[in-house]
Amino acid sequence: MSGKGSGSLADQATGKSSANLSILGVALGILTAIGGFVDIGDLVTNAVVGSRFGLSLVWVTVLGVVGICIFAQISGRVAAVSGRATFEIIRERLGPRASLLNLLASFFINLMTLTAEVGGVALALQLASSVHYLAWVPVAGFAVWLVVWRVKFKILENVTGLLGLTLIVFAVCLFLLNPDWNHLFNQATRPAVPEGEAPATYWYYAVALFGAAMTPYEVFFFSSGAVEEKWTVKDLSQSRLNVLVGFPLGGFLSVAIAACAAVVLLPAGIGVTSLSQVVLPVAEAGGKLALAFVIVGVLAATFGAALETTLSSGYTLSQFFGWSWGKFRRPVRAARFHLVMILCLLVGMGVLATGVDPIKVTEYSVVFSAVALPLTYIPILIVANDPDYMGRHVNGRLLNFTALVFMVIILLAALAAIPLMLLSGAGA
Amino acid sequence: MTSAGKMFDAVMHLLDRQVLDVDKMPVTVVDDVELSDIPSGRIPPGTPAPVITNLLAGSVLGTRMFGGRPPSSRLNRIRWRHVAELGTALRLNIRGDQLDVLWTERWVRNRIIGRIPGGRHDPE
Repeated sequence: MSGKGSGSLADQATGKSSANLSILGVALGILTAIGGFVDIGDLVTNAVVGSRFGLSLVWVTVLGVVGICIFAQISGRVAAVSGRATFEIIRERLGPRASLLNLLASFFINLMTLTAEVGGVALALQLASSVHYLAWVPVAGFAVWLVVWRVKFKILENVTGLLGLTLIVFAVCLFLLNPDWNHLFNQATRPAVPEGEAPATYWYYAVALFGAAMTPYEVFFFSSGAVEEKWTVKDLSQSRLNVLVGFPLGGFLSVAIAACAAVVLLPAGIGVTSLSQVVLPVAEAGGKLALAFVIVGVLAATFGAALETTLSSGYTLSQFFGWSWGKFRRPVRAARFHLVMILCLLVGMGVLATGVDPIKVTEYSVVFSAVALPLTYIPILIVANDPDYMGRHVNGRLLNFTALVFMVIILLAALAAIPLMLLSGAGA
Repeated sequence: MTSAGKMFDAVMHLLDRQVLDVDKMPVTVVDDVELSDIPSGRIPPGTPAPVITNLLAGSVLGTRMFGGRPPSSRLNRIRWRHVAELGTALRLNIRGDQLDVLWTERWVRNRIIGRIPGGRHDPE
């Protein structure tokens, strides 16, 4: 996920923002938000769900997109107004014990997501080259480190976000497949557990899909990114626009992925267990050219998310201990931050080297993300209402009401995740 | 320290807050605070109230969470008189580089990060 105030890129170019340049900036911000929305969790979970449940879980994607819009916006505002990123706030509000437990859980889940994303990069490279993905893991890990080490924040965010836009090929191919739109529409608007599937499995995937859309690293990354880019209150309207337009359109891509699977894989009885099955509908509808596009898109989406999770591992730990962090500093000026990221990448690559299936890691990471959601979202919501931090920029009543409704949903999803996992045999 | 005698709550407004140095470089989080000695036994009337003498950081976080107290010589201290401003973060009036608290940062910088090519340059 990305899509922060990219407007300043245009501003930097001229030193001053003129009307049409800031339109360019807004467009760029929205486009990167769309392209950066999808990661390996969204790709795999949507394809799995589409191939088994058709579009009957689309309502969860909609719910997840609304949720991430609300909380990305709140965490961005907290960071811009108070200058404090998410984990600094968690430590301060929860005290050392509770926040340490929170850190351990969040850090572990982020590491799992990081592993899944690096595995996703390797799998995408395997699709492109026919060289086994394990051979690509060190290349992918090294490339992620190199970008985190040397490339400016704004550039890494915009390039991966824009390249990720090629995932629109899923939507194009859905039209090429010429599906029965009425049937799809009915599936989406009258959700029901399909025959042959247990209700526990249906709800297990509902939680997984919710976790995939609202992954906690997105909030760490978003709020820390706001500090990286030195947001002030003035940047908030731009960021709100990026979030409120970009993320729903990114969610639309997620639905297109599920719909492609529902049209091609569901009737054929193909279950998704690999990345090649995720992109199979695209290859069938659009041939080699579409396949080339989708591989670029998957590569950009997973690589971008690998960067974001790597940075998030550094952000969370550094913010908990109060270390110097941030890509706006030279690596020597944030030494422990960079060391943490190097170690996390090595651990992720080590886990992948055992031969564990990256798709399985992804499936578990999105469910555990759902478990960890309240750990991140509750403290943010509390601070967003604290005038000591926010002055007159505290949450309004309507926003608080919506956020509280979402808190209930988030808590339910978190509590239900593990029982549903056991009941459904992890969706088997 | 706050000039007009503004009230603040040490637990709410000091503990677990980010400390920044004079150049806004993060130094640490306030892991604990050290107070001036409290006389033991009966406290005679007119005894001055204890004041905060130092901010503490480092291993003291462990003992704050699980109880006990490290030997005084092992405490990483930041003198209270170096605290310049109290806001959503604490600002110091000195550079963090000189402080003992940052020895791990210096160690990682000099032994590892500074030796990797490109570590001393701005990102491009």
